[in-house]
Amino acid sequence: MTRARRRLLPAILALAITALVIVPTTSAAAVDYVPISGAGSSWSSNAIDQWRRNVQQYGMRINYANTGSSDGRNQYKAGTVDFAVSEIPYGIKDGGVVDTPPSRAYSYIPIVAGGTAFMYNLQAGGKQITNLRLSGSVITKIFTAKITSWDDPAIAADNPGLALPKRKIVPIVRSDGSGSTAQFTTWMSKQYQADWDAYCVRAGRSAPCGVTSNYPTIPGTGFIAQPNSQGVSGYVAQKANIGTITYVEYSYALKTGYPVAKVLNSAGYYVEPTASNVAVGLLGAKINTTATSSSYLTQILDGVYANPDKRTYPLSSYSYMIIPTSTQNNFTEDKGKTLGAFASYFLCEGQQQAEVLGYSPLPINLVKAGLEQIAKIPGVGTSTVNIAKCNNPTFSKDGTNTLAAKAPQPSECDKKGATQCTDGTGGSKTDTPVTTPAVTPGTSTGGTTTGGTTTGGTTTTGGATASDGSSAVNPGTPDAATGGTSTGTVGTATGGTTTGLTAGPVSCEADTGVCANVVALPVEVAATSSWGVPQSLMTGAVVLLIGLVVVPPLIAQLTSRRRRRG
Amino acid sequence: MTLDTPRKLSLLRDPVDLLFRGVARTAGITVLAIMSLVGLFLAYRATQALQVAGWSFFTEQSWEPDAGKFGIAAVLVGTILIALVAIVIAVPLATGTALYITDYAPRRIKQTLIGLVDLMAAIPSVVYGLWGFFFLQGNITDISRWISHTFGWIPIFAVDGADPNDPLASSTVYTSSTFIAGIVVALMIAPIITSIMREVFSQAPVGEREGALALGSTKWGMIRSVVIPFGLGGMIGGTMLGLGRALGETIAVYMIISPVFVIQPHILQAGASSVSSLIALKYGEATEFGTSALMAAGLALFIMTLIINFAASAIVARSRSGASS
Repeated sequence: MTRARRRLLPAILALAITALVIVPTTSAAAVDYVPISGAGSSWSSNAIDQWRRNVQQYGMRINYANTGSSDGRNQYKAGTVDFAVSEIPYGIKDGGVVDTPPSRAYSYIPIVAGGTAFMYNLQAGGKQITNLRLSGSVITKIFTAKITSWDDPAIAADNPGLALPKRKIVPIVRSDGSGSTAQFTTWMSKQYQADWDAYCVRAGRSAPCGVTSNYPTIPGTGFIAQPNSQGVSGYVAQKANIGTITYVEYSYALKTGYPVAKVLNSAGYYVEPTASNVAVGLLGAKINTTATSSSYLTQILDGVYANPDKRTYPLSSYSYMIIPTSTQNNFTEDKGKTLGAFASYFLCEGQQQAEVLGYSPLPINLVKAGLEQIAKIPGVGTSTVNIAKCNNPTFSKDGTNTLAAKAPQPSECDKKGATQCTDGTGGSKTDTPVTTPAVTPGTSTGGTTTGGTTTGGTTTTGGATASDGSSAVNPGTPDAATGGTSTGTVGTATGGTTTGLTAGPVSCEADTGVCANVVALPVEVAATSSWGVPQSLMTGAVVLLIGLVVVPPLIAQLTSRRRRRG
Repeated sequence: MTLDTPRKLSLLRDPVDLLFRGVARTAGITVLAIMSLVGLFLAYRATQALQVAGWSFFTEQSWEPDAGKFGIAAVLVGTILIALVAIVIAVPLATGTALYITDYAPRRIKQTLIGLVDLMAAIPSVVYGLWGFFFLQGNITDISRWISHTFGWIPIFAVDGADPNDPLASSTVYTSSTFIAGIVVALMIAPIITSIMREVFSQAPVGEREGALALGSTKWGMIRSVVIPFGLGGMIGGTMLGLGRALGETIAVYMIISPVFVIQPHILQAGASSVSSLIALKYGEATEFGTSALMAAGLALFIMTLIINFAASAIVARSRSGASS
């Protein structure tokens, strides 16, 4: 009896396991999807990767390699991928060579909107700066090696509340062919052509430089080139790489937890590339609406750069998928079915997640046009997408962009002028206290920031000495490192983490959040003297030491050899 | 006078023997054929670019094939520098490891150590690259800084743009350098060098070892007078094989370096280059002509690696340990 039961138990278990294994595969096979593969943009790959994971539940297997827009377009041209994703269309002249359109049939569909953000890693007095503001000309000058130090007066003019350290600016650019680079250089070549062309000529290219997917670098300027969005954002996000700044999609800043610079728009406000600011900005984009054109639905962004709305993020743009419209290069109708279903998913439901991921959802006109484009993919059946059920935050009954209409106005402290907001940006939401610049804006000597450092309610639960708001900075204590240039920013204690600290500069560990007082003394570094007696003595000592180690064995060997011969 | 004609020898081979001979011969010829076809393919694809560039292909530093301005002067020097850094680090490490395993390690941990070294060789290079980019780079800069401050008067250790008197100086000038790429490559070639050295060291004749010990030599004396002279050919051969691998290492280097297209002799400074990472970086987005230029660079690397490997095998074959094996 027991033996029989013992035998029965494994059998039942095995049966149950086989059932468990078999059942889901059969249910997934109800709708047959063949796997498809694509390559291209790393700018939009955070969104695509999320969508790919989401559609796995329907049995779709979408392979995507985020190898850069240029690589995606080339692979599509060569027929090695079923679809490509790119920020820029075919046919753009880059470095004197026109990127010829592929011979296989293709169309563009917009997939998502987003802002090319300026993610940075900057500290003053051991504390991360999270509220940096930059105007377009300053950004251009940084990325064309004209402004090389964070304490440059032009940056100080953008940031009246921050005392920036005298650190070298290290711009991180893309080393591979990239759509982000193309978007950024389009903007520079349209808005600040003189600076951009001058840089290009210095880098050995011919002017006018125009848009390029390969960022030119000049050896010796300290620029670092890294492949892929992950490469540049990963480099900036390394704790030790202070002073770095890069251009990358906003989602990478959210993912790595680093702040982005607020960029000055033409209305005179510094704005962050949030979903709503990007949506507002893109109201100014001119979309090609000639359905017969080969570049149907592509964007012209001049109107975005100059959009007079004060919520505009000027470097907003759409990303595009290049889809095949014929069965060439191993593209079959079965693949078309998968691609069509995937595209219908991300144009409709997928857009809901755009905002959380760091992108901005597409407006209704582009979703509709995109869905019409899907019908051109061979093998796609009649569309079953009900646009009303997409829950896209931009949709409204009257066709206007709800997300843009409801976008909050920028706060007055973001206006160009004497004030500066304290709240963090991007993936780093901690506040950075600012000094009230009313006394003497622009100067950075320790004495001028007296008393004005705490920002209202931020120190409510702080320590006894810090909470009165007046003693947070001891104006007489200059910062050790810079001799007083950054005293103003380090002095304030934010929130409850600083319990029990006495007045004076505070340093907070980024990983643990533990804050400690910094006791700093001015240090004078003696000027390096030229060759003197100590140097000679040291050299002599080193020579003696080497001689002591090396000479005896050498002599021993020589003598032993002689002896052997003899 | 009639000449003696040698008797004809007829050899009757077993069918199984014939079959095995056939299989072995085919395999051998296939390897040769594939290698020469790779070479031919590279040469054929490279002609278009080489015709345009001419001899300037060997002297030009920049890489802008579409503008007609491209050459391998910078990338080839960069490749050799990275490989040399890797060799300088990997050879002492591998020699020490191999000697410890063959002569010092207790019997019970010997097999574990051998397994661990082989495991090191099995780690994919992209993992080394990730480790180098996210971990090593942030932690090694202090060492780079120390070397450059202390030995900066030696030109290759100098770093432009580094100011030792500036407390806020950024460490980024020490990142993405030949040195860091070289360390990562060193870890990747160390296991291959170690296994070759271990193999030749373990073949050192027991009689000579015992003889050395019997004459009153210390263990180190025995190693110095018997094991190392015996294994010298294998050491050199293993090093050359490692060098060959270091020259061709792609993805880890690609992830770490910040490519520059000038001859960059400062190994601690940001900015490095290598042929294989150039190909990995550019092939995806290259035009037809650009691809041809990349093939030419690949051909140069192919020939260089070939020469090094042939030299290695020649040295190994002439040495005592190599001849016996």
